[in-house]
Amino acid sequence: MKRRDFVKGLAVTTAAAGTALAHASKTSASTETLDQAAAATQATAQTDARAQRARQMASFHTPNIPVSQPDVVAVTEQRYFTAARWATLVRFSDLVMPAGDGYPSATQAGAPEFLDFLIGASPADRQQMYNTGLDRLEADCHKKSGVSFAKSSAQQADGAIRPYLKGWINDHPPTEPHEHFIAMIHRDVRQATMNSPAWATAAEVAGERTPGVGLYVSPIDPGMGTWVNHGATRAASTTAPAAAKPAHS
Amino acid sequence: MAEKKVDVLIIGSGHTGGMAAKILTEKGISCTMLDAGPMINWERDRTLKPASQLPYRGFDAPGRLPHVWQSSEFSANQWVDEKVIPYNYPAGQQYNWVRVRTVGGRSPYWGRQSFRLSDYEFKCKDHDGFGENWPISLKDLAPFYSRVEDIFQVVGDMDNLPQYPDGNFVKEDTPRSAAMQRFADAGKKMGVPVTKPRSSRGRDGMAASLNLLIPDAVATGRLTTIPNAIVRKITTDKNTGLADGVIFIDRHSHREMTMKARIVIVAAGTLETTRLLMISEICNSSGLLGHHLCDQIYGAGIAASVPEARNGKGTRAVIGGGGLIPRFRNLETKTPGFMRGYAVNVSSGNLDPRWFPEYGPALQKKLEEYGGSGFTTNIMGETLGHYENHVSLNKQVVDAWGMPTLTISTKYGANEDNMAKDMVDTTAAMAEAAGFEVLVKNYKFNPPGYSIHEQGTARMNDDKRKGVVNQWNQSHDIKNLFITDASVFPCAGWQNPTMTMLALAMRASEYLADEMKKGNV
Repeated sequence: MKRRDFVKGLAVTTAAAGTALAHASKTSASTETLDQAAAATQATAQTDARAQRARQMASFHTPNIPVSQPDVVAVTEQRYFTAARWATLVRFSDLVMPAGDGYPSATQAGAPEFLDFLIGASPADRQQMYNTGLDRLEADCHKKSGVSFAKSSAQQADGAIRPYLKGWINDHPPTEPHEHFIAMIHRDVRQATMNSPAWATAAEVAGERTPGVGLYVSPIDPGMGTWVNHGATRAASTTAPAAAKPAHS
Repeated sequence: MAEKKVDVLIIGSGHTGGMAAKILTEKGISCTMLDAGPMINWERDRTLKPASQLPYRGFDAPGRLPHVWQSSEFSANQWVDEKVIPYNYPAGQQYNWVRVRTVGGRSPYWGRQSFRLSDYEFKCKDHDGFGENWPISLKDLAPFYSRVEDIFQVVGDMDNLPQYPDGNFVKEDTPRSAAMQRFADAGKKMGVPVTKPRSSRGRDGMAASLNLLIPDAVATGRLTTIPNAIVRKITTDKNTGLADGVIFIDRHSHREMTMKARIVIVAAGTLETTRLLMISEICNSSGLLGHHLCDQIYGAGIAASVPEARNGKGTRAVIGGGGLIPRFRNLETKTPGFMRGYAVNVSSGNLDPRWFPEYGPALQKKLEEYGGSGFTTNIMGETLGHYENHVSLNKQVVDAWGMPTLTISTKYGANEDNMAKDMVDTTAAMAEAAGFEVLVKNYKFNPPGYSIHEQGTARMNDDKRKGVVNQWNQSHDIKNLFITDASVFPCAGWQNPTMTMLALAMRASEYLADEMKKGNV
């Protein structure tokens, strides 16, 4: 390693000295009196300083600066769902995850806003499933109780939800479309709430274990997606296939 | 720099590439191992984090890995992105191809269930007439299984069941909980064996090529490992027809390089191996390369609750621990509706809120009451490797490095449907007989590929018209080319394939070393 550093340093020294000399040759006649040996010594000193700085930075240890999630100080802007669907989502969220035992409700945890963002960024089939499902909740509540789902009592809302609640396991929620929607939105609201910073804070205050801890894998050297995103090019052949050469050659 | 000819070139560094490297280098043979992905730095690349600190609260970026159902926001970066290396399938024939490209391959992530195949699998055609027998039997592979089990520290019990061969196990002496014992007793009355699980303990929390195989090869001083080397073609000598090396692309720069080798071992993982052979236009004199793709169905099962474990009474004596129901159908009798058989993973203790048709405070009350009383069964069912289940090259769609991609054409049928139904009904009946409350029955199973147990497409047969490799994993067409991964399996069995892959790779490597010594290859 030391040897490699030495070789690298040598290369930098040579380049830097060359640059310094080139610069000197372009200046006025007074440069003729310049002591070239002194210039080289100066360049070497600069190179040593650069190498020393690089070594210092390489051995630098990041100070421990606690950071916070943005949700602690800011709210997600609601922008995807229509006003009617948004109102239905908010009502549904607090019905399935009300506050209790020091833990926040879904709305206190910002779950509806998070889902508005998530579904807004999702593939069309997931958006369609949500939009249709929220409309159906609203329509069913009107039909059964004569009120909007957003303004329904717990009992009235239950009349629109319960018939479609089914237990499920593994990767297989119910296949009937509205049962499927109820299963998905229920799971999503629970997850968006229980994985929220507000929920984590509540757990900390309660002296309980941090919830939802898992082994996170960082992008690996430098991440598989990079190659598509940056569109790296491939060198073209100049020796083979005629097709690669200009037609008139 | 002058081109050097390496002795043995190994393509892939997962379980079987790692095993080949270990065996061959320990026998004094120099190996060069290429992997398409980067080297893992476990300490740098992985860290414990709460979901609340992830950008998507654990959901992951929408639409990122639509076919990797195992993925979460925690693990998303470890899987191959299908936008980088696409594949496709005919409409209505979904295939979930789950891939990893890092040194060690998928070996750090496997489920660690460690089973031997039995002669019900090795001699499957003799038993039921479907498919082809393997050219080997359990007797041939047993000594290698034993050595692999020792390396991987397989923990298990001796059960003395012909369909579930015993092995060289670290003894499992944890007593069964009362709930698991009741379930086993219920099974006994119905003729269904319930055994303890068998799984690889490994070392230092891992049972992978990365820590159990490759380091041994490194220690010999005879292994050269090159990450980020995407082999785009295996080259052959025009005069002899033998493999003489590869052309590979550097993942980062797309620089193309050639390498010469005396022997080539392909261990890229079933479908990547077959894809490479197809792109290289080799090893297909039988016309069977790419055919007979098979795996196992997962996803069907039941969820139940053990009543006496509710309300905080679920001590380890009452509930907990797992079990395995090895295949019991179509052994000595014939079950109507399906061929072959399934095994069942059994676990107890944990509970999932999705099991209950409740929400809000009522759900919370259920979770408090039922907490710790959960019980589940999950199928591992053999699927049939029909000729029609195949892969082909799609030259119209190339990956990020310009290589043709795969079209995977496979589907399940009535055999799998009927097998799943039998499993759910049987285990539900057992759970009820044991006094459990069955909460959910799920007859649906996951798409092909989900189990990450893809097998076949370059199957083993001593008749070169019926297989791609012989019983030594040696290509019929190219004598200095060996395939060590699960693409050589003639049938899937119900078992996790890892132990068999490892044992076959060990056996093939020792054969190869002997043949090299004799000058035969």
